[in-house]
Amino acid sequence: MTDPFASFVADPATQEALAAARLVADSPRMRYLLLVQGNRGAGKTHLLKAIRDRAASADPPRTVELVAVARLTELVHARGLTDAGVALRDRLLRADLVLLDDLDAAERHLAVQAFLYDVIESRLVAGQATVAATARPLGRMTDLDGRLGRRLREATFVELGLPGTAARTAILERRITESGAVVDPGLGATLAAASFRSLKEYLGALNRILAVQGAAASPILPADALALLGLESEPAVESSRVPAAAPRATATESAEFDAFLTDVTANVATQFDHWRGRLRDIIAHWQGLGFRTRRLETALASDSGWDPDPLITEFGHDAGELQRLAAEIRAIAPDLAGAEVFRDPDQLAAARHIVTESRLRRAPLSAPLPDLTLARLGVGPSNRVALEAVAAVVANRDGRHSPLVFVGPSGVGKTHLLHALGNTLAAAGLGPIACLSAHSFLGELTALKAPEDLAQWRSRYQWVAALLLDDLHLLADERNGQAELLQIFGALAEGSRIMAFTSARPLSELEGFDPRLLTRLEGGVVAEVGPPDREVRLAVIKGLLADTAAANDVGLIDYLTARSADSARAVQGLVRRLLAEAQAERTVPSAAFARETLEAVETRPVRRERRSAAASGILSPGMGVIRSREKMVLTWPTPGDRLIGDFG
Amino acid sequence: MPLVNLTAREITCKLVYYGPGRCGKTTNLQYIHGRVPENRRGRMVSLATQSDRTLFFDFLPIELGVISGFTTRFQLYTVPGQVYYNATRRLVLQGADGVVFVADSQARRFDENVDSFKNLQDNLLEQGIDIRQMPLVLQYNKQDLPPDLILSPAELDDTFNFRSVPSLPADALHGTGVFETLKALSTVVLQRLAARPPSL
Repeated sequence: MTDPFASFVADPATQEALAAARLVADSPRMRYLLLVQGNRGAGKTHLLKAIRDRAASADPPRTVELVAVARLTELVHARGLTDAGVALRDRLLRADLVLLDDLDAAERHLAVQAFLYDVIESRLVAGQATVAATARPLGRMTDLDGRLGRRLREATFVELGLPGTAARTAILERRITESGAVVDPGLGATLAAASFRSLKEYLGALNRILAVQGAAASPILPADALALLGLESEPAVESSRVPAAAPRATATESAEFDAFLTDVTANVATQFDHWRGRLRDIIAHWQGLGFRTRRLETALASDSGWDPDPLITEFGHDAGELQRLAAEIRAIAPDLAGAEVFRDPDQLAAARHIVTESRLRRAPLSAPLPDLTLARLGVGPSNRVALEAVAAVVANRDGRHSPLVFVGPSGVGKTHLLHALGNTLAAAGLGPIACLSAHSFLGELTALKAPEDLAQWRSRYQWVAALLLDDLHLLADERNGQAELLQIFGALAEGSRIMAFTSARPLSELEGFDPRLLTRLEGGVVAEVGPPDREVRLAVIKGLLADTAAANDVGLIDYLTARSADSARAVQGLVRRLLAEAQAERTVPSAAFARETLEAVETRPVRRERRSAAASGILSPGMGVIRSREKMVLTWPTPGDRLIGDFG
Repeated sequence: MPLVNLTAREITCKLVYYGPGRCGKTTNLQYIHGRVPENRRGRMVSLATQSDRTLFFDFLPIELGVISGFTTRFQLYTVPGQVYYNATRRLVLQGADGVVFVADSQARRFDENVDSFKNLQDNLLEQGIDIRQMPLVLQYNKQDLPPDLILSPAELDDTFNFRSVPSLPADALHGTGVFETLKALSTVVLQRLAARPPSL
């Protein structure tokens, strides 16, 4: 079979492209991406077909796929990349050689570009060659997929230029010979000296002359030929300079040198440019593991990588350490495991810092009490706003509802809400969560001895996913505590972390506080929690009776619910006292028993004094402060008087 | 001589055609010169006597263009084959990256081939180079002559190819084996250059 490349005439403008094309056609398996750029009509398709024919006629023959990207783009535009796309991808990945013609037709078609990138990349990884031809220079393509652009810029680039006059003359004369037409001997040289933009236009012009010549009796003179084409009849300067006896490379002669050049090109690429291939392999490896490879890519883009091994070893060492750090951070701070620094060996120092910090803050934090959940919280108008705020914080864990401040008198359920919020966040996978009272916060702070202890302590709280601080009002006049809280507040706000507080007094009434802290708190969501309404009381009572014999005693539940209370804690105390009395009397609590017991309390002050203050839930623990309306009613009427009063 | 210059991205290889007088060294270069496109080759410098014997040396620079980012040049030299030009041969051999030993396949020139080959070894040794360390290709030229006048490549291998280097039959006058020889030498030279530390 005739060498498909024999139809090319040696010329400086095409020499390099021909050598590279031969190299691809003759190499059975090569990790290679060749980009051929040339104007329309420069012969790119002709070159791709020559590669295809030469590779296909090799022994053993190689499977070659020549893809017209313009056609592919039309198909994708019409049908999308569905099953046909998958089948085409498989076919292209199976082929020994893939030739992409008119690559610039994919300009602005990102789906096609993504498809082509995938094919090119997969073939490079598999050590296979791909050749792409484009009429537009890469730099002038718009909307080019970044990955595809990068990959193409790394490709071996050759230009298929317009051959010089001598080569054009040879091409045109060969075409004249092939046509069998009898023409003026100077026709080829004259046309070759004319000014056209591409080889295709030169051949088109010749075809027109040959068509006219077919009908003419005598050979058309060169000047007449130019006139036929609408060109000036003056001989071109360049043509006149071509000496008649100028040595013109024949196809055979050229092929001999081209084959040699191909061989040397392959040798140089193998011997001197192997580091690029090695770097690409390493980059693909680490990228496959999810690592950023900027350092390696920079080396690949430069020409400094004679021996890439030290760089590869160093990168591997850093990536290995990063893997170990990522594993540790997954164990000690799962919320940080996805951080970018654990995938970028160039940020190894930052990753080390984060892990060190995480180790420090790994000391256990005060967690929310597991019993105080949302499910066990009675819901009513008095706390509905607060619950909606909790739901909003849980739904949007990016700190946009921070800080959340529950305000209300003691015993209305603020602490329950705070701990329920913590438990809900923890159940949603958020962590670590610090949930503690301001009293404990101050206790921890004052217990610190050395300045470095303070830094570590502060660091623990600055890294939490959520800080839930109960009884904020207890920080009044605690300047150190407030200063630390302010610092932690700033760090958490910067990290869009969740913060929630409770306060027994409205923020505007808090005294002894740093105004900066107050303004930050007022900038968040303030939810007021009121005294428990009937729904809340009912939920609390049902919850407490749930595991008792009186769980379904509607009369008892109605009686207890009807009793007013200014705090959920008071309701809890009431029910607990009733249950304790019933247990002491070895009876099942009922409405009558409750009435007798509870209403007797007020008429039997001596007995009340015997009760444990801590157990009552009504008396303020050891302080004697009036905490509920129930306690304020010191002389409760007898049942008879109450009946008369109720019906009166 | 900077053979591989990473900073300038240049590869320059000096290849020397060595052999007895009239073995066909200059013919090799002339054939190559005739096949290299004009824009790729420099002027072939040939200092010859009136009877066309190489007086000094032949020199043919070939620009192979930019390959993988390297501007690649081959500089082809021949040495004068005649015995009394040994000083010139030594000079030309200096800094050579590879040598083609062109042997005349005629049986009657066998001894001259052997002498020239020994002379090559001696001249390399004078420069502190063991011939086993020098990229070398053997070309058995004039294989187109009648078989009864020449030694076969196998017979010549027995004498000269003691370390199994590439050896090729050739007919330099008509081009057979000329580019094959150059290709073979360029391969081993590039391998050798790649293995050396680069000059920066």
